[in-house]
Amino acid sequence: MTRRGSKSCPLCESGVRWINYKDDRTLSRLTTEQGKILPRRMTGMCARHQRQVSLAIKRARYLALLPYLGRSPSQA
Amino acid sequence: MRAYEIVYIFDSQLTDEQIQEKLDRFHTHLTETGGGDISTVDQWGRRQLAFPVRKRTNGYYIVTQFSAPADALPEFERLLKLDEGLLRYLIVLHEGEPTAPMSIATRTRPEGADEDDDDDSDDEGDDR
Repeated sequence: MTRRGSKSCPLCESGVRWINYKDDRTLSRLTTEQGKILPRRMTGMCARHQRQVSLAIKRARYLALLPYLGRSPSQA
Repeated sequence: MRAYEIVYIFDSQLTDEQIQEKLDRFHTHLTETGGGDISTVDQWGRRQLAFPVRKRTNGYYIVTQFSAPADALPEFERLLKLDEGLLRYLIVLHEGEPTAPMSIATRTRPEGADEDDDDDSDDEGDDR
């Protein structure tokens, strides 16, 4: 389990104010292979940014920039 | 008047002229009937959809920033919904984010070219 090493939100640190829902490259890094939104405990984001990211991802999905369903989980 | 942003996804099988013609029609409707104002139009061009929409795998993306009185939107949206060549659209309030239209387009378009070196840089979640 990756307990967040740093306490602070990675987006606050990089000075991001608004998450752009059209930026599918960045948003895809915040989803799992299956297309799920990464939870706070993995991203370590502050509440404000996590909310913005989740809204942005949902908008990007509607616009077919991100998949609703990504690769299905393979049985290990 | 409020500032909005709309993303159009046109059927990519339409010709560029057809798309342009539709776009012009929408925009004249906004400015003339609705009393709005178009500020920027950013054409992303053809792009692969993440999943098929109405059996199409590609779409022609256009992003427009405009301002219009709120009561002009229902009529505008009705026009959009009637258009068969428009796969999807999304209207959102245009928030404080600075408009950097081309940067998005240039980053999105050469998809296959330099994607890989970007992606594995700082994935935190996937390797667990």
